Amino acid sequence: MRRLKLKKYLRLRTFVRAGVLLLAALAVYVLYLDVTIQTQFEGKRWALPARVYASPLELYPGKKISAAQLSEELMALNYRHGNLNEPGSYLRDRERIELITRPFAYWDGAQPALRMAVTFSGKQITGIENLDTGQSPPLARLDPLLIGGIYPAHNEDRVLVKLNEVPPALVRALITVEDRNFYEHHGVDPRGIARALWTNLRAADAVQGGSTLTQQLVKNFYLTSDRTLRRKATEAIMALLLDAHYLKDEILEAYVNEIYLGQDGNRAIHGFGLAAQYYFDRPLQQLSLSQAALLVGLVKGPSYYDPRRHPERAAARRNLVLAELAERNAIATSEYLSAKTAPLDVTVRAPMGTSPYPAFLGLVHRQLRSDYSDVDLRSEGLRIFTTLDPRTERAAEQALATRLTTLEKQRRIPAGVLEGAIVVTSTEHGEVLAMVGGRRTRYEGFNRALDAVRQIGSLIKPAVYLAALSRPSQYTLTTRLDDSPLVWKEPGITEWAPQNYDKQFHGDVELRTALAESYNVSSARLGLALGLPAVIESAHQLGIERTLPPYGSTLLGTIGLTPFEVTQMYQTLASGGFLTPLRAIREVQTPDGVPLKRYSLSVAQAVDPGATYLTVTALQQVVQSGTATGLSAFLPADLKIAGKTGTTDDLRDSWFAGFTGDKLAIVWVGRDDNQSTGLTGAAGALMVWGQMMATLDPEPLTPPMPESIELVRVDTKTGLRADSGCSDTVEIPYVRGSAPTEMAPCSGRSPVQSIKNWFRRLFER
Amino acid sequence: MNMRYAISVFAALALSSCANLPGPSESEPQSVGSDNNAVVALVESARLDAAAGQFSVAASHLERALRIEPRNAALWHELARVTLNQGQPDQAAQLATKSNTFAGQNVALRASNWRLIGQARTQTGDREGAESAFDKAAQIERQR
Repeated sequence: MRRLKLKKYLRLRTFVRAGVLLLAALAVYVLYLDVTIQTQFEGKRWALPARVYASPLELYPGKKISAAQLSEELMALNYRHGNLNEPGSYLRDRERIELITRPFAYWDGAQPALRMAVTFSGKQITGIENLDTGQSPPLARLDPLLIGGIYPAHNEDRVLVKLNEVPPALVRALITVEDRNFYEHHGVDPRGIARALWTNLRAADAVQGGSTLTQQLVKNFYLTSDRTLRRKATEAIMALLLDAHYLKDEILEAYVNEIYLGQDGNRAIHGFGLAAQYYFDRPLQQLSLSQAALLVGLVKGPSYYDPRRHPERAAARRNLVLAELAERNAIATSEYLSAKTAPLDVTVRAPMGTSPYPAFLGLVHRQLRSDYSDVDLRSEGLRIFTTLDPRTERAAEQALATRLTTLEKQRRIPAGVLEGAIVVTSTEHGEVLAMVGGRRTRYEGFNRALDAVRQIGSLIKPAVYLAALSRPSQYTLTTRLDDSPLVWKEPGITEWAPQNYDKQFHGDVELRTALAESYNVSSARLGLALGLPAVIESAHQLGIERTLPPYGSTLLGTIGLTPFEVTQMYQTLASGGFLTPLRAIREVQTPDGVPLKRYSLSVAQAVDPGATYLTVTALQQVVQSGTATGLSAFLPADLKIAGKTGTTDDLRDSWFAGFTGDKLAIVWVGRDDNQSTGLTGAAGALMVWGQMMATLDPEPLTPPMPESIELVRVDTKTGLRADSGCSDTVEIPYVRGSAPTEMAPCSGRSPVQSIKNWFRRLFER
Repeated sequence: MNMRYAISVFAALALSSCANLPGPSESEPQSVGSDNNAVVALVESARLDAAAGQFSVAASHLERALRIEPRNAALWHELARVTLNQGQPDQAAQLATKSNTFAGQNVALRASNWRLIGQARTQTGDREGAESAFDKAAQIERQR
């Protein structure tokens, strides 16, 4: 009897224990979910990508830009044409443009939306008037182009908004369509599920979700998208917990920022704030009823209802949302009718995205990485202001794409075989204005401007000549060089006998001519006379950081450099001998507009200004009468452009490096498989350079003459001092004291004078 | 005439004294040498910010102006001055050197640049270099 009782008791106890255990387990699980929910909901919910902006266009009287060009810039910024009624709109009447800028928080302070009129005379701005105050501001900035972002994992992108910034119409539409009982239920809505089931039973395919906004949020926020029963149960528990912990409006605000609303390449568009920009290029607050309805309609299937790809589906879905609102008297019939017939009004292009300029963005990312961790870049929402000039970038991309196609056709090269890269900078500041990493500029792939290490050929020569001209007592622009056959022997290295491109030897040539014509033999002999260490030193002074092998062939550029490295080297020449580090970033700001960091302009005198001036003069001769005369097809001679062609063995690489008064550009053309292109520097890269620069309206190059330099008129034939008796003369710059003292035979005083000179030189020694 | 003469003598004396005594007189604003109102406005903003100790913002205004007029020697000089105030004497001296390459016949500006280089060298402890920079400034002043 007692035993039986005991058994019963024990069994009961086991049951109770099991039950308690089960309950405890469930409680622990719920508690775990609760903790999960709270930590995620209250901690930082979203990683915000760094946003990268181009350089803003500065408008001021005297600025070189035509009305047509400014219109082009405004279109690139997605300004609306026709009505002057909101920030980001403009009107053009021939030589006058009226516009309202978008407000923007610049690094040095915010600029509100400005309503202004800009007047032009041909290629120049003549006046700016603030249409609200009637005053003439000295200058104004156009809000800069957003050129991309550095995205968090999964490439989620969003612009955070507060609930009170969301138009009430959008909130009403959202609740009406997605979750009518949102403000009544406790996170899950049995009535909604029943209704959805009923509707879905009647219709063949699932129409209604039945998930509350809270459940949708939970799903997006915490869970994977697999459709198991267990996941559904977890979702429901979490929705209940979320509802118990937080206010309806807090949940709604999270939803509004979390919901997935589109796909731009590999970038995911999340939240209504970004969607408003992505589809309409407007701040969320400025959306019309029909636009708000379109976005709410997208919640159901952003790709199926994509208004850019499927405008009809999107319009039908929008109108369904509007009808629902009208039916429930959330909007007036008149509002319904006008919204229903409104155009979709989606911008043709997404205003930003996976960057249209991946090559430049790659450079920005690389330069930022030395100061910021990748995690911060992908999560802190930093605002990065860069040096990119969209107009220069467009010109560079177009020139490369069209020229390479033309070259392929002309030279019967299979289409698509040629590749290229371009870097453009401002001469005095070293700001990178444009970077093209290949022909297919929109594709993020191999960035040839930064990463293609190619032999630079004759582009190295300015380093040789600079080393020579740094010794004015030995070398001047008119010093005679020996361009007769040369054989060079070094222990341990095979005999080296450099050849000229034309396979000829040119005997006795002036130094400036040897560079202008890019003679290899005389250049090599000059380099050997100076000594390899001196030449390599000069290359390093110009900014080449890579170690250069101390072989004779280095003198002729058998060294590999990237186009970006070459740019740094020529930058030093273009800025008068000052090493100016190339910069792609100006400033960094927090998402709230607090200045964080400035990347300031820095210069360091690296090369003697006199020697630099002489080298640049010789490089001007390259364009005027040397290997780069082909530029005259694109640009007038009075720009006095300095440049250098580069061609490597078997015509594998075609280079052109050149600068004007305001811009330096390096162009490389070649093949990824390093086969011959059949192009010299002049036949390939130079053409791209010329076409690009011609559209950029560059400034003439007139370097300031250093104190150490004087101009001396010499006889063209002999290179000796000329006077009025000589007919064929040229003015040549010399470091003071290094000009020829001997008078040319053509000069009137010549015979007597030369004897006198001879005596003078004798006694001066 | 007499009055004018007196003033110029006084000015010359004042200038020659400040050539030997680098200091506060250097901060006297000089002409920007530009007829571009945008540049003038940016320099004014930069001076206001610099006066308020906001050197970084001042420098950003000056760089903005330099993008408009890259070869304006006075702008490079202003930037050198702000950079010196930011406690970067080496960079300040480089910027002043850069300014000199564009200064041409502007003797006053060239002298100012050399004085600034002298101040920068003093800060880095290069006394001899500073001395020669001040001498150079004085020598240029005498050319006037």
